[in-house]
Amino acid sequence: MLAEFQQALVDLTASPELCNLVRCGADDEVLPARYELTPRELRRLLAIVRHPGMAAACTVYRMNRLAPMALNVRGTIRALGPALGPLVNDYWRDYPRGHSHFYIESDRFCRWLRQRIAAGEPVAPEVPAILEREAAAVHAALEASCSDGLPYLEITAPAAS
Amino acid sequence: MPRSLPRPRVGLLYNPTTPRVLAYANGLVEHLSVMPDRLWFDFGSEAPPGRRFHRVHDAIARVAEDLVGRSFAGHGLGLSLPSAIPLDEEMVAAGAAISRDLGGFAWHAEHLNLFIAPRGSVPNAQAGLGLPVIYDDEAFDLMAAKLRVVADAFACRILLENGSFFTPVPDLDYTEPEFLNRLLHAGLSGTLLDLHNLLVSARNGGMDPVAYLDALDLDGVEEVHLAGGDDHEGFYMDSHSTVTPDVVWELAYEYLPHCGNLKAITFEYQESYFDDLGLPTLAAELERIHALAEACGRPAEVARAG
Repeated sequence: MLAEFQQALVDLTASPELCNLVRCGADDEVLPARYELTPRELRRLLAIVRHPGMAAACTVYRMNRLAPMALNVRGTIRALGPALGPLVNDYWRDYPRGHSHFYIESDRFCRWLRQRIAAGEPVAPEVPAILEREAAAVHAALEASCSDGLPYLEITAPAAS
Repeated sequence: MPRSLPRPRVGLLYNPTTPRVLAYANGLVEHLSVMPDRLWFDFGSEAPPGRRFHRVHDAIARVAEDLVGRSFAGHGLGLSLPSAIPLDEEMVAAGAAISRDLGGFAWHAEHLNLFIAPRGSVPNAQAGLGLPVIYDDEAFDLMAAKLRVVADAFACRILLENGSFFTPVPDLDYTEPEFLNRLLHAGLSGTLLDLHNLLVSARNGGMDPVAYLDALDLDGVEEVHLAGGDDHEGFYMDSHSTVTPDVVWELAYEYLPHCGNLKAITFEYQESYFDDLGLPTLAAELERIHALAEACGRPAEVARAG
């Protein structure tokens, strides 16, 4: 099915782990277990995953998904240091679909990170204060982007998937 | 087929730094390509009906000022027409409304890339990542139905832009130029030929640009994009970070004089590289495109000999 093929392609691009699983793991079993694919679609996907360019596609995916946060919560990203990689992986698992409105995406990440820290996620001691400062600026920008004058939260409330 | 005059116009893909280029080299820019997606904030499908798109009024006013005296067209980022999901008709309507309010796009281009799947997406940044498309009858039927709706809404010709890919898809029923030709001959869309995307795909294992261009019906090419990229860990990226590389200029001089319906040659750069490029370099690039456009305005045999 075309929709399943496309979903698999997007999921693979978003997940180097899934690519590795397909490449080295149970080989031809991983994708059919998750997606309804014709034999031809499976062959195409296996060829794509095994192509050296897949690593570049995964890298560009991550660069682009990080772009809203790099623009809007740069201090938080820097302060997270080596913790950033595992954290954004978890965030992207919770929100597999990036939001094209960069302030919504950044606001969503700030809320998610705040919850993680409150639940005991170990981060550098300066992170919470930087996060609160930048989250406030993002929220203000998000409110300002509502050009019909209504508060953002009256337009739509972000909800975890 | 030799071209007839007039020659194609020289254009820029509009971004927030474009007004500075226009202030520096106003007479060199004859055409602007406008991205409706950058003139609104899209609050997404969870927003109540009629409340999803919030226009950036200042940006629209500035664009409207800069369009005066120039031809202009639309360039969409978010529709992901090849996706096996229903057409985002709210976004189509919002884009068409921007077109109407700016005075009507001469044409509107969309990408022949996959950005969205039913349960996920790849971020659609301006110079971002589009995934390859399966070229078969199912994809053709899917695209055909959507293209008719988009053309009706925008009330203008729709062009499809060839994408750049890191991973070629094997065992396709049609090559990309064959697929574009089929859409053209069915009267569904013309072609926005991005010559730099051809280079990117070829450098990353895709189709040879000469074979691609030999297979493409050049009469369908109505706009051309030029741009530059850079290498990253052994791969060539469509980053829009530099001026057009020599190999792309060679392809342009060889093939564009044969594009009998070419209306604009548009240079793309990403605004985050504006300071690195600098105004003198951007102006020199535009002058170089003017020379190319002049060559396209002469009969093909003359241009090739020149």
